[in-house]
Amino acid sequence: MSRIKHISIVIILAFLGLIMLLDLNKIPNQFEYANSIYHHITNNAVGETGSLNFVTAILYDYRAYDSMGESTIIFGAVSGIVLLLSRKTLPVSSHGLSFIVKRTYGMLTPFIFLFSVYIIAHGHLSPGGGFQGGVILGAISIIFSIVYGSEFDYKRYTPTTKTLLETSGALLFIGIGLIGIIYSGSFLSNLNILNSEPGSLLSAGSIPFINLGIGFKIGAGLAIIFYSMIQKTFKEEASL
Amino acid sequence: MNNILIYLVIVPLATAFLIPFVDIFSNKARKILVGFSALLEFSIGIYIIISNYGEITEHTFFLKYYLGNWIPPIGITLSMDMLSLFFSTLISVSLLFIITYSIGFIGHHEGKYYVLLFLIWAAMHGIVLTGDIFNLDVFLELMLITSAPLVAFKRNRNGTEAAIKYMFFGAIGGLFIFIGVILVYFNLGTLNFADIAQSFSLLPLFSKKMIIIFFLIGIFIKLGIFPFHFWLSKAHSACPSSISALLSGVIVKVYIYVFIRLFFNVFGFDILRETGLDIIIIVIALTSSILGHVLALSENDIKRMLAYSTVANLGIIVAVLTLNTKLAILAGLLHVMAHLLMKVSLFTATGYLLQFTPSHKLQDLKGVAYKNIILFAGFTLTAAGMIGLPPMIGFASKWHILQAFLDRSFHWGSIIVILGTIIAFFYYIKYIIYGFKTISIGPPERFRLILSVFYRERVVTNIAILFAIAVVVVGVFFKLSYGPIEGAANAVMNPSIYIESILGG
Amino acid sequence: MINHIVFIFIFLLGFYAILVKKSLIKMVIGLNIMEGAIFYWFIAITDRGGIIPIVQSTQVAFNLNDPIPQALILTGIVIGASTSAFLLTLIIELNKFTDSTNPDQLGGIIED
Repeated sequence: MSRIKHISIVIILAFLGLIMLLDLNKIPNQFEYANSIYHHITNNAVGETGSLNFVTAILYDYRAYDSMGESTIIFGAVSGIVLLLSRKTLPVSSHGLSFIVKRTYGMLTPFIFLFSVYIIAHGHLSPGGGFQGGVILGAISIIFSIVYGSEFDYKRYTPTTKTLLETSGALLFIGIGLIGIIYSGSFLSNLNILNSEPGSLLSAGSIPFINLGIGFKIGAGLAIIFYSMIQKTFKEEASL
Repeated sequence: MNNILIYLVIVPLATAFLIPFVDIFSNKARKILVGFSALLEFSIGIYIIISNYGEITEHTFFLKYYLGNWIPPIGITLSMDMLSLFFSTLISVSLLFIITYSIGFIGHHEGKYYVLLFLIWAAMHGIVLTGDIFNLDVFLELMLITSAPLVAFKRNRNGTEAAIKYMFFGAIGGLFIFIGVILVYFNLGTLNFADIAQSFSLLPLFSKKMIIIFFLIGIFIKLGIFPFHFWLSKAHSACPSSISALLSGVIVKVYIYVFIRLFFNVFGFDILRETGLDIIIIVIALTSSILGHVLALSENDIKRMLAYSTVANLGIIVAVLTLNTKLAILAGLLHVMAHLLMKVSLFTATGYLLQFTPSHKLQDLKGVAYKNIILFAGFTLTAAGMIGLPPMIGFASKWHILQAFLDRSFHWGSIIVILGTIIAFFYYIKYIIYGFKTISIGPPERFRLILSVFYRERVVTNIAILFAIAVVVVGVFFKLSYGPIEGAANAVMNPSIYIESILGG
Repeated sequence: MINHIVFIFIFLLGFYAILVKKSLIKMVIGLNIMEGAIFYWFIAITDRGGIIPIVQSTQVAFNLNDPIPQALILTGIVIGASTSAFLLTLIIELNKFTDSTNPDQLGGIIED
């Protein structure tokens, strides 16, 4: 029975794929759009935003509103996960790995942190940005709990601290947007203050600051997600 | 340019970000913040209506906003025409009352609950205001991901299963919409609604067809139209009643808005007619409608019955909108308003009544009317409106829908509407009769409070009664709402106004 | 052509996982595979054969690849990550009630 079901599903999917392929194949390989935003952005992005990284220019300037929605999605997911998996007491899940690992990781931590800050701060100059750097920030917390045990991380960075970091990152983003209204009359417009030559660290107006806010928000958010999840599973293992 | 539009999104968003922050320090401050922000957001909507009253009565109302000062095809544009205004007003009114209802209804995890509720509010206003197709996708996902935790809010097995289904199908629908966005960008090189609308008709037919089909599948999965209706009833019935009202009353209407905006203004209705898809949509939607009614009749659980009734009504709305005459769109928008009011009213009343019964089953509802006779009278009146009896708003909208079907001489549609009305009569009357049945055994101990969460009875009953009164009053004076709805229908029928208003000047 | 074939194959592979697999976690992985296919396809079909859209100095560079799809995909990746994170949370929660991640025990994901 299940074999017939499998085979029929495969046949239906193959048929579906064939139809999609025939349709997609009719599309020409490359379009030259007449009034495309591509041309505008590639020609003017450096001059208009001061960011050398065009992807960052789009993410935090031309379409910064999208990024706001997207970071809000992370915020919403974190809220939902905490809502579902919230609990009061924290079981000590593990006491960490051996002494050698602890020492080694202790030495490495500042460098990992520095790397994440570098990625965040240079988002407008090189590949990277708030999201990418924020993930590395979140990873620090995750490695802490693996290497030193979850209690250590819990005491060092309590959930309250993480929540504070996350909400302040989000509020920084909105705050920059609101300053944009005062400064140049439009939400999330680029603040051309603290600007120097494009290519230096403090260029591209508000993009580095938005990056900073997003970075902290994403880092704290991912750490919260990780923590909510392991607490639950470790509790179940303990009860077995 | 008017800054007021962006505050419609920013106020609930900032509130959602502030609540966890405030929650660390004090519970009371959070409650004040929630109430204050809800009122602020509501009054922004009122302010927009008052300050543009002249234009609204003349149907020339149009606000637009360039985010970051980027002119349309480059950046993201927000816009508000009569259609957006209509939906935005409905959202603000219902959300304000649902939040007030929640104050009496939800007793645990309030902090996160209001965070998610305000995020949903922000997402809905984001969808209604946006003029950018990718931004629309982002906010649709935001709405999905913030409403799913609330589906699982009861933290029981049923709710979790429902949330998994809701999330899975919502995510798959989102993927289809994302493919559609990709195809739009690949074919046209732009993401702005007005810009797409301008050059969409120049595309070759197969490209247009493919884009349309991907968007259609995505929206239909999210709406729960016929082949994808199976997840909806569970998701809309497993959550607390305040959330059921939100999901079944308001969120599906936002998807209806997306349907209208995309297929009437952005892609243009001509493509549906050229490919013959409009007839297919009507047939599918009518099937969905009759199926929803039949499933509701066979259902023994009051909340699931109401959820299936949503499936049925959504089918009717989609079908009547797709007829694409002025009368049809007017009827569809009227039914959007009617169904929103009635569904929120029914779910808020049900939420109160179910506090006194051991389960949601029909048999357990026996005699529940005597617990609060005024509220149950309101429930009865709203149910009568749902069936389509005269003084209620449901009658007005159903009458217009029938006229719209007959006007296009689409007799099958009108037959199905009448058939649905008859079936609806049977399944609502069942619950009303059971509600009024006297119980032979036992004093009122039978009605004990099941949940401890229910601690502000007066707020809950007042909101439920208020909505029932609204159903009757709006039904009697529904001619007053003709003006704005006609303006919205105008905006739907004339996409060129939208294009010119955004791109020109 | 080859882009479309790879896209359709991977996309339907993910869809197959959602339809057939007997574990909710594998179904989430299937969803992620579908997302990955879409992201790959978007990058592949908008490839202009140019250089990466990051310039070294202020002078305008020619023949850049399109940066907009990359920005959209970054957004899409974040959305996908949050979706999977939340779905996995729900599965953890469900596992608490049923001690299983089998979708059939819930009455199936398709059947009500």
